[in-house]
Amino acid sequence: MRTRIIGRFSVPTLALLLPIACATPENGSMTGTDLASAVLGGHSIAGIDLGAAVGVAGKANEAYREIPQDEEVEIGRSVSAGLLGAAPLTDNALQQNYVNRVGMWLALQSERPALPWHFGILEATTVNAFATPGGNVFVTRGLVERCGSESELAGVLAHEIAHVVRHHQLNDIRKNAKKGLMLDLASLKSGGLTGDAARAFARVGLEGYVRGLSREDELEADRIGVVIAARAGYEPYGLVMVLQTLQSLGQSDSAMAFFLKTHPSPSDRLAALEVVMPPSFEQLAKPNPALVRYAPVFQPTRKER
Amino acid sequence: MKGSIPSVAVALFFWSALCSAEPATSVRNFELKQSPAGDAKAVATVAAGTVVDLVKREGAWVQLKAGSDTGWTKLFDIKMGTGPVAPAATSSGMSGIAQTLNLATGKRDSSVATGVRGLDAEMLKQAQPNAQEVTRLVGYAATPEQAQAFAKAGKLTPRTVELLQAGEPPKGAPAK
Repeated sequence: MRTRIIGRFSVPTLALLLPIACATPENGSMTGTDLASAVLGGHSIAGIDLGAAVGVAGKANEAYREIPQDEEVEIGRSVSAGLLGAAPLTDNALQQNYVNRVGMWLALQSERPALPWHFGILEATTVNAFATPGGNVFVTRGLVERCGSESELAGVLAHEIAHVVRHHQLNDIRKNAKKGLMLDLASLKSGGLTGDAARAFARVGLEGYVRGLSREDELEADRIGVVIAARAGYEPYGLVMVLQTLQSLGQSDSAMAFFLKTHPSPSDRLAALEVVMPPSFEQLAKPNPALVRYAPVFQPTRKER
Repeated sequence: MKGSIPSVAVALFFWSALCSAEPATSVRNFELKQSPAGDAKAVATVAAGTVVDLVKREGAWVQLKAGSDTGWTKLFDIKMGTGPVAPAATSSGMSGIAQTLNLATGKRDSSVATGVRGLDAEMLKQAQPNAQEVTRLVGYAATPEQAQAFAKAGKLTPRTVELLQAGEPPKGAPAK
């Protein structure tokens, strides 16, 4: 059987059935799924399920297909829906808006400023933070309440932004998705992920949070996160301070149990950061009195009188 | 007015107490400096493994109380917590105020735990997608213009900072 590579996608069946496909310029601008939907239009000709035929041929390569941004955003939306099914957003609009402003400002300094970034505080007392592909970042109320300043919050958000920028969760999802699932993204062209495909992405995304990312991914997100925070004008030590706070909570704290299962220990991460953070960063850590604005919004003492 | 001043003072005291005076341990020998600057005068020497009180953090520096001495050193010179030594067991080394502060810290933790709603592996495995919450999430989003105005109000100026290289060879194969 002849195999013709169009873009980075192997479509032998398609090439055999439809010589027109061979005339398509092999410039890589069109993905296999684009091609399939453009050429085939529907799903079956003469009783042959061409979508399935393309799917079979594409299986070997689907894991390596580049995921366009709109598809990444849809995956992220599905995973966010799953995560928010486990823990909803808190009802504090003031804090939610604040976190979105800090987060968007940080994201604008990242390598992917144009993603549709969304930030949310989850109603959970345990310590954790999550990122989905496509620019959704979540922190639990339990973690936010342990951040003592805007710089510390920025350190946490910048770490999560770094995961998105480096496709850590997206790569994890690609690696663990059932064969064929990545091809369901073709349905996007007609209006978003829905039904079974959306649920399947939510499931594989949430399983990723249960498994945790690799230590290398976490340490890389720490290194990039402190730089994003510094680029945004925050002192670079915010994340270090949060990690020290988490270090003080220790392993016996039930709020830390799941976080510690799915992340390198705070001590491990602090040791790795100390090695790479240059002395010149101390010059970027001038006190900023304007950031006193944080405490009235986030301090735990309630304004109840 | 008269009545509100003491309550504000009490609230401020507890707020600052919540943020500070946590037990920490020195991870190496270092000099405690009079101010947060490399060329500041040393006020004391602290040996590795000494239990100290973290008073506050400021940039790359931390202010510590070690015995009767108070001074500054680098953030990375300490680790939080006291290892096997429980805070309550170090009563001889702890002033009355420090005990109060630690009590306050404990209170904060229990307030965090009030109405516990955790988020663990089991909840993630059983979660049903919630599309309405995604709509709420999107509703809270900030525009780039709002973020820029927020940054300006916070006197946050963008800076050029190089990415940091890994300080050790990666184990395994991280997906890049």
